[in-house]
Amino acid sequence: MTGPSAVRAVWAVAEKDLRVEIRNRYALGSVLPFAATMLLAFGFALGPNRTLLLQTAPGLLWLAGLFAAVDLFHRSYQSEADAGALDGLLLAPVHKGTVYLGKALAAAAQVLVLVLATGLMVGLLFGLPLGRSPVLLALTAVLGVVGLSSLGSLFGLLTVTGRRQAALPILVLPLVSPVVIGAIRATATLTEGSTEGVSGWLGVLLAFDAAFLATGFLVYSHLIED
Amino acid sequence: MVVTAIELNGVTRVFDGLPAVTQVRLAVPAGETLWLCGGNGSGKSTLLRLIATALSPTYGGGSVLGCDLLRDRDEIRARLEWLGHQPRVYGDLTARENLEFVARLCGLSRTLVMPALERVGLDEVAGVRVAGFSQGMRQRLAIARCLMRDPEVVLLDEPYAGLDASARVLVDDLLSDAVRHRRTVIIASHEAPPADAVDRRVYLESGRVVSAEAVPR
Repeated sequence: MTGPSAVRAVWAVAEKDLRVEIRNRYALGSVLPFAATMLLAFGFALGPNRTLLLQTAPGLLWLAGLFAAVDLFHRSYQSEADAGALDGLLLAPVHKGTVYLGKALAAAAQVLVLVLATGLMVGLLFGLPLGRSPVLLALTAVLGVVGLSSLGSLFGLLTVTGRRQAALPILVLPLVSPVVIGAIRATATLTEGSTEGVSGWLGVLLAFDAAFLATGFLVYSHLIED
Repeated sequence: MVVTAIELNGVTRVFDGLPAVTQVRLAVPAGETLWLCGGNGSGKSTLLRLIATALSPTYGGGSVLGCDLLRDRDEIRARLEWLGHQPRVYGDLTARENLEFVARLCGLSRTLVMPALERVGLDEVAGVRVAGFSQGMRQRLAIARCLMRDPEVVLLDEPYAGLDASARVLVDDLLSDAVRHRRTVIIASHEAPPADAVDRRVYLESGRVVSAEAVPR
């Protein structure tokens, strides 16, 4: 069988998804304003109590990121469903796990931009500091984003078949909870200027990321094939 | 010796309890062009999707180019092109980017892209986003994909639908090209393809093969 190497296939799918996103600017034009509105609404609801704002900010940051990401995953597969392009991925002579990894990589890049932009808004609106370990904070963001994207890219596939559109949040939200909790706890600790217990939460994130990616790689072909 | 390119052994496909294709037995020799005809809902498209490995048989099995329909799907996919009802293109990508993506996924050289676009008359709009293309232009792009891939087996599902006269010529050229290169072709169409391109006609009714006859050239 002729075909590209796995790395080339992953990169081809990721680059295509990113190119499509850059052209239609869905994340910037639709998802980011949603996250901004959510943060603004919570900011007004919680009032001017700085301590309360700082305590809730990490949770709001990751919740806004999560809801925005779920919308993004749905949109990513909708563009595949248009004009039957998903059949093109199905019939490509490559291991379908590489298609999954390509889509997860592109989703991770987009969600990372969303989380960084949302983080900037949280910093401005809630006064959330970077803490004393910005590198660990960046690592938390990357690991959290990979966890969200690896799961969303797997279950997002289910939304393109009509009867399963509601399945995305139902399946993703409970499964992604450990990732969100780990990311929130690590972010809260780091922005308080401490690193105590952070390695444990980063370990949790890493373990779930690895588990989600491995599961996605192995089961994606079963979901996309008839 | 006649080599069989496509062989279906009692293939049945059921959707929600309703059979779309029932006990189809079919052997297509390599290099043959077979015209699959029948009314709406006769199972033509389902049969092509089964051969293209876009669907799995509920019962039965078969092979394409000696590769098992269920076990060797990616082998079959590397050597077969299926033009279905939808052109399978991304509206947010340009015509060139669409073909480059296919080339990369199929392990082909990107240098094949522009010649394929030239053959279908889309070279001048190669850098234009497909979202602005008419249905006919999208179908041309799908034909360009087929030409670029140079497959051993070509499946055409209603290839004339929605095409103007100049684009219909392209489908006829694609068929002539396939005949010249001894590719195996199955064309499912209400409309008769050019008689000099067809070797055999198989008639489907309610998902069953009811007749098969050679077409004299």
